[in-house]
Amino acid sequence: MQPALSLRAISMIAQQVLNGLVLGGVYALFALGFTLIFGIHRIMNMAHGAVFMSGAFIGLYMVRIGLPIWAALPIAMFGAGLISIFVEVIAFKPLRKLALADAELASVISSIGAGLIILSVGQYVSKTQTMRFPFGTVPVDAIVVFGLRVTMLQLLMLGVAVLMVALLAYYLYRTAQGRQIRAVAGNYRAAQLLGINPNAIFYRTFFLSGALAGAAGVMVGLAFNAVQFLMGEPFLLKAFVAIILGGLGSVPGALIGGLVLGLLQSLSGAYLPALLVDAVIFLLLFVILMVRPDGLFAQSVTESPTKRV
Amino acid sequence: MTSLVLQGVGKRFGGLQAVSPFDMEIARGKITGLIGPNGAGKTTVVNLITGVYKLSQGSIRFGDIDLTEAPRHEVARAGLARTYQTIRLLPDATVVANVMIGMYRHQKTSLVSQLLGLPSSRAETARFRDEVFRLLDRFGMTRYADYPAGSLSYGDQRRVEMMRALALKPEVLLLDEPVAGINEVEAARLGEIFRSLATEGEGMAVLLIEHNMRFVTHLCDYVYVLDGGVLIAQGTAAQVVNDPAVITAYLGDDEDA
Amino acid sequence: MMSFITPHLPLLDLIFIGTGYALSQAIVFRAGTFSVATSGFAALGAYAAAILTVKQGLHPAAAVGLGTLLGLLCGLLLSVPLARLRGVYQAIASLAFVEILVALILYFEDLTGGPLGFHNIPRVVTPWVLFLAMLATMVLLTLLGRGGIGRAFDAMRQDPAVAASLGVNPTRYHVLSFALSGAIAGLFGGLDALRNFSLTAEQFGFSILIGTLSAVVLGGRRAVLGPLIGTTILVLLPEIFRPLADYRQAVYGLLLVVVMAFLPFGVYDTIVMKLHNRKLARAGMLAPKVPKALA
Repeated sequence: MQPALSLRAISMIAQQVLNGLVLGGVYALFALGFTLIFGIHRIMNMAHGAVFMSGAFIGLYMVRIGLPIWAALPIAMFGAGLISIFVEVIAFKPLRKLALADAELASVISSIGAGLIILSVGQYVSKTQTMRFPFGTVPVDAIVVFGLRVTMLQLLMLGVAVLMVALLAYYLYRTAQGRQIRAVAGNYRAAQLLGINPNAIFYRTFFLSGALAGAAGVMVGLAFNAVQFLMGEPFLLKAFVAIILGGLGSVPGALIGGLVLGLLQSLSGAYLPALLVDAVIFLLLFVILMVRPDGLFAQSVTESPTKRV
Repeated sequence: MTSLVLQGVGKRFGGLQAVSPFDMEIARGKITGLIGPNGAGKTTVVNLITGVYKLSQGSIRFGDIDLTEAPRHEVARAGLARTYQTIRLLPDATVVANVMIGMYRHQKTSLVSQLLGLPSSRAETARFRDEVFRLLDRFGMTRYADYPAGSLSYGDQRRVEMMRALALKPEVLLLDEPVAGINEVEAARLGEIFRSLATEGEGMAVLLIEHNMRFVTHLCDYVYVLDGGVLIAQGTAAQVVNDPAVITAYLGDDEDA
Repeated sequence: MMSFITPHLPLLDLIFIGTGYALSQAIVFRAGTFSVATSGFAALGAYAAAILTVKQGLHPAAAVGLGTLLGLLCGLLLSVPLARLRGVYQAIASLAFVEILVALILYFEDLTGGPLGFHNIPRVVTPWVLFLAMLATMVLLTLLGRGGIGRAFDAMRQDPAVAASLGVNPTRYHVLSFALSGAIAGLFGGLDALRNFSLTAEQFGFSILIGTLSAVVLGGRRAVLGPLIGTTILVLLPEIFRPLADYRQAVYGLLLVVVMAFLPFGVYDTIVMKLHNRKLARAGMLAPKVPKALA
């Protein structure tokens, strides 16, 4: 019998923590994309999972035609960004003329429809098969840090997550465009009076959101070695935990929420039967909503003083 | 006759004393005025009475009913109705539907009979409709019955809100700036209706919150004056209008010129 | 006539049950709550009915009755935490509830059959039974909607503060809307279980939640006919495109997008609105402003 807190046990936990952080980074990217749209436009983009999937698909096909992963990733992000704009144009734009309260539910349904269309394309293109990235897309070497085994893939995932978050933060908080986006959030009349084209704001935020989701998609496709047209749905559902925990509309919140979710999934996955992991995650979501629905970071991305009641 | 009695009623928001403890009596058969400059706390007082805000200090009683802790719907069931400073109708519901909600207080049929749509429930709905049309008739709005309330003119919307409050058949009627933005002629007409509400039959206890001094002096039997959350004067309209404190509050000191 | 209907019976089943679920969803929307818990209540009703019939040998009618009761109780329970939330948070909380339930159903294999499903359920429920259940529910909700409860729900949905200031007890009606929603979903869940030989937990997961939601929004949230029309459209239209079997999902998606773009208030509600407007325009001396919605 080995003592409970043996070195091996600690290193196992530490490994799970590492896995959790890596997974959490990806959840953070996904959650960021979603929360950006919500924070700025107060809408739930239910096609986000489909955009995520399309990023994985594009990344996969780019690698298949011979591109290295560091080229395929930006292309996948760009493609996913465009697809996200497509969603904006067909699902949300036609409903903008309605008063916000009426448009909410209708735009949720509309975005679900857009998501289904994208899913359908994915289904057709992949012939419903689960596809895999070719072996060697990411070198299989691993390094050992403090007794923990860290694979190249994990380093890549962490690196991409950190880079994306940093770029997003820079864009939102340091550039004029980003300031515009934050200042104008939800108040389109004010935007027009200020000479800002609200459509431009929409396109930019949706593009960003899509790019982030696309990056997450490629990472997940690599991590689980599976790219399949239905991969978005379970991700979206679980990501709600991250988004709510961090606070709907909050950028740092999505980051923290994503990490916590990743840790939770990884740790409970190691010690609980798989079916209970889901129950635990959603129970946590429910509890958070009961106790602190605004999440950890109650304010939103925006600086708009007009808070929607 | 019962009155609505406020004793030592005050409201604090965190560190800010929005309304300092004061006493007020709104008697049946009379129109009581509550005036004061903008931001004086008049609407806060109405919100305290109707249960929107919790009292920080004091008590509110209506006859032998203690309304101090009562939630909004119980205040309404006790017979208090209010109108709002900004019109709060359901803009997309018809005028009839809007006024009909005011009848809620008089619902006597049980939940079960409403669930199953039993004849007693349907008969009640029909009775309510008749009442609503009687009110529409009194206000001359019958032809607007099926129009969405939001499509009416401002003055007509005010009247719909009034009808809704009256549908309650309240014992106490709290009118929060009911003639704001309305021309003199229409305001006078509404004033007549208020007067008749107070003096007809049992007589309602009417609280009138207004800026319009002429309107107030013409209609009110007794007036309370608030400034910055503090009661600075009370008395008949004539007394209050000549009170130096009131004049200062409204027009400012010479030093501010 | 029968030879025309018979091959399409499975579709009728879907329409009747789907409408039942949609009605359960619509009633909470009417009271102003953004809950999507219907599929969870349905799962409870379905598994209760199935387990009681198969394992306890209960008469199917009694089992469905108990399933309905279970749905009702669960609705009552869920209304409490959901009362403290607003809007999108209610939706997410109810979604979490459904997912927890599905995960638990999958986990407790001994009771429910887990991922393999629950089988050998006697097929007792005919399309007639479903039709009658649907009809009864529609009648009930129509009568309810015309009376005090309907008025209270409408007021609460549009302006809860004003509703309260007119005497409407918000808690009472909130709980009532959830009890109704739970009971209706439990009923149709139970009926669903007894018509198909087997049950799986996935039946009540995210897809049915979305399907039910879409049916309500597509058909119209306001009237009782809206859910029926929405469900019918969502069941029939993909069937019409059956030749394009692989693209059914795309057709479904396109349908949602297009209908929302042109008829955001739902097919039936929009028709009612237009007729109402025309009636007013003809009768009145003034042309009223086109309302943004029928409340």
